[in-house]
Amino acid sequence: MITLYDFELSGNCYKLRLLMSILRLRYDVIPVDFFPGRQHKSDWFLKLNPFGQLPVLKDDDLVLSDSGAILAYLAKKYDETGLWFPDDPAITAEILRWHAIADDITATASAARLALGFDYDFDVPKAQAGAHRIFRLMDEHLWFGEREGRDWLCRPAHPTTADIACFPYVMLSEEGGIGRQDYPALRRWCDRVRRIPGFTIMSGIFPAGRALEQA
Amino acid sequence: MTLSLTDSTWYPIASSDDLPFRHVYQGQLLGRELAVWRADDGNVNVWENRCLHRGVRLSIGINEGGELKCQYHGWRYANRSAGCTYIPAHPADAPARRIQNRTYPVREAFGLIWSAANDDQPFQPFPGAETGEWFPLRPIPVNAAPEDVLAGLVTLAPDDQPADILPGLAVRLGAAHYFVQPVDSNRAVIRGLLQGQPEDAVTTLRSYNETLTKLRDRLERAARKKPAPEPLQPSFEQVSVDLATMPDIAIPRGNTITVVVKRKWASADGIIGFELAPREGHLPTFQPGAHIDVHLPNGLIRQYSITNGPGELLSYIIGVKAESAGKGGSKILVESVREGDLLSISEPRNNFPLRRDAVRTVLIAAGIGITPLLSMARFLDKSSLPYELHYFTRLGEHIAFRPELEALHGKVQFHTGLARPEIAQTISQTLGEWSHAQHVYVCGPSALLESVRVTAATQGWPEESIHFEYFKNDKVIDDSSSFEVELARSAMTLQVPAGKTILEVMREAGLQVPSSCEQGACGTCLTGVIEGECDHQDVYLNDTEKRANTAILTCVSRAKSARLVLDI
Repeated sequence: MITLYDFELSGNCYKLRLLMSILRLRYDVIPVDFFPGRQHKSDWFLKLNPFGQLPVLKDDDLVLSDSGAILAYLAKKYDETGLWFPDDPAITAEILRWHAIADDITATASAARLALGFDYDFDVPKAQAGAHRIFRLMDEHLWFGEREGRDWLCRPAHPTTADIACFPYVMLSEEGGIGRQDYPALRRWCDRVRRIPGFTIMSGIFPAGRALEQA
Repeated sequence: MTLSLTDSTWYPIASSDDLPFRHVYQGQLLGRELAVWRADDGNVNVWENRCLHRGVRLSIGINEGGELKCQYHGWRYANRSAGCTYIPAHPADAPARRIQNRTYPVREAFGLIWSAANDDQPFQPFPGAETGEWFPLRPIPVNAAPEDVLAGLVTLAPDDQPADILPGLAVRLGAAHYFVQPVDSNRAVIRGLLQGQPEDAVTTLRSYNETLTKLRDRLERAARKKPAPEPLQPSFEQVSVDLATMPDIAIPRGNTITVVVKRKWASADGIIGFELAPREGHLPTFQPGAHIDVHLPNGLIRQYSITNGPGELLSYIIGVKAESAGKGGSKILVESVREGDLLSISEPRNNFPLRRDAVRTVLIAAGIGITPLLSMARFLDKSSLPYELHYFTRLGEHIAFRPELEALHGKVQFHTGLARPEIAQTISQTLGEWSHAQHVYVCGPSALLESVRVTAATQGWPEESIHFEYFKNDKVIDDSSSFEVELARSAMTLQVPAGKTILEVMREAGLQVPSSCEQGACGTCLTGVIEGECDHQDVYLNDTEKRANTAILTCVSRAKSARLVLDI
């Protein structure tokens, strides 16, 4: 049985809700009051994750933390298609590279959002500039991907956990005062992610319209 | 050079490739944010990026193919006109309003989307544009003043081939044309075009991308050392008070539009299709279920439903029944009006509004009654909302708009040649027991309407879930009463004798009162009632509205009380 220690407004927790929705996994939720309760620094939570970070996922007796690591775990254990985290070594490396970029997005775009919406004392202009730098590179990567027939962050012709890991804090960036007007290819990729069958929303992340030719 | 909010130069604002199927692009020109979207018919819309309701960006909305739906409260706006077609909180009210978002001029050419702050200047292609095929480069946004970006581009010119400055923040450097899109006083986008498709497209694109990225970094370093100019301050027009408050009653507008009969064809045995096109531009926004008045060459006015789908404003298509025994209205259209003829039509009016929040929508039509329901089905179809359409005809060859119906993706059923009891049984089975948020819409002969109304009522469908529109009033009008009408706003008291209508008496007294069908079916003469008890004889108001005693159709209805005070 899977249990997610979850904060509704956390993009990192949402990454797991999103993949579990796509994989149609059933799970229990234990809400953790990250804000304003700071329960992720409470004694009971630190016993689950001494680093004091959400999300934590329990699968029977196994306790895991770090959203990127848990995405890989869920895909490898429960995705029967093997598409979300393929075994191919080169693709694995490519996905892990984007998981690391997802953490950089958290450190910039999410930090700006925490500062503006959750009273965190972060350097907002620095966080915003850092996010713009990453978004510019992602936009370029995705723009050339469209020219080369690649719709997703990694090489395969289908989305992987790399897309799930990078998506939420891109999509929530406006809450940190980071516009995406200058990143048209990034905005189109956001539409594609939101059209993955099984996609689910969170506060601040709206659904996309249908885009089938036979809509 | 200082940027001006009223600069009427055409600038590129996006690449054609930026507008894939059902996407909404976010752009900006001269400080004004834009929502840019391509409808399923290929038309590109450039609108102010703001829903008129609560100011939410339309670029986060949903492109439904013929309408753009705001993400916040679901207001929908039509392709081409940006007219509001639906307000979920007031599903029956939208027709009474003329809410229209601000649109900007647009032209798609040379792989780019071009726009301007106003339409003071016609679009003019850049010098040499028409001589070849054009290949757009990856656009490069730059956080620097547009004029500095242009100056930076000029420095890319090799010594032996000086840059050729073109009008409108543009420059030609050898094989490449560069256009600087002035986003704001301190932001720009470099949009490049190459002549002809390069052999290795991706390598060429990467090479230009690298050059322009380096230029961008250089320009941004320089811009950071200068004081940033003040951003442009575009003003946003307020929504008028008229639109911001609820109107009490749908006042007919009376404007007519001249249209050309672009096509006339036999859509089915006994049903003629007419395609009516404006002489230029597009026709006004309409809602599904809406009709137009057609002013006929013999002076008569007849109502016909618009069959179009969402955002189809280049022409209206109507269906006309070729009745040999007709009163001369439809007959003259069918027999005398030819392709190329001009006709006057009214702006669309809607007495048959469609809710788009239903769990289940059942559309039931017979004969020519298919026309408004075809429009409704097309709207629901584009938005992927569930519906079923049942179409009763006596013979298969009587099925009007068959190809259009067969192109729909929903459940469309033709019921041909059924006897009356079978029709009643089919209706009963189709409707089933009512449950929450189910709606039925019916259009056809009076017998079908009555059958659906009675069946639905006995199967538990509440009145507000049964929607219909009468073509004509079959009731025998009792005009034997005589009474007094006081016209509150006109400060007049008139006597209505037996044998005359309120409308006639008002006209004789010199009042200008709009009317159309004059048989209590179209709602044009609807007037507010302040005092007195109405004797409703129309088929336009539903029973609840009649009981409310707040409005009357002056062309047929009368007073039960000795005196009636009207809000006119």
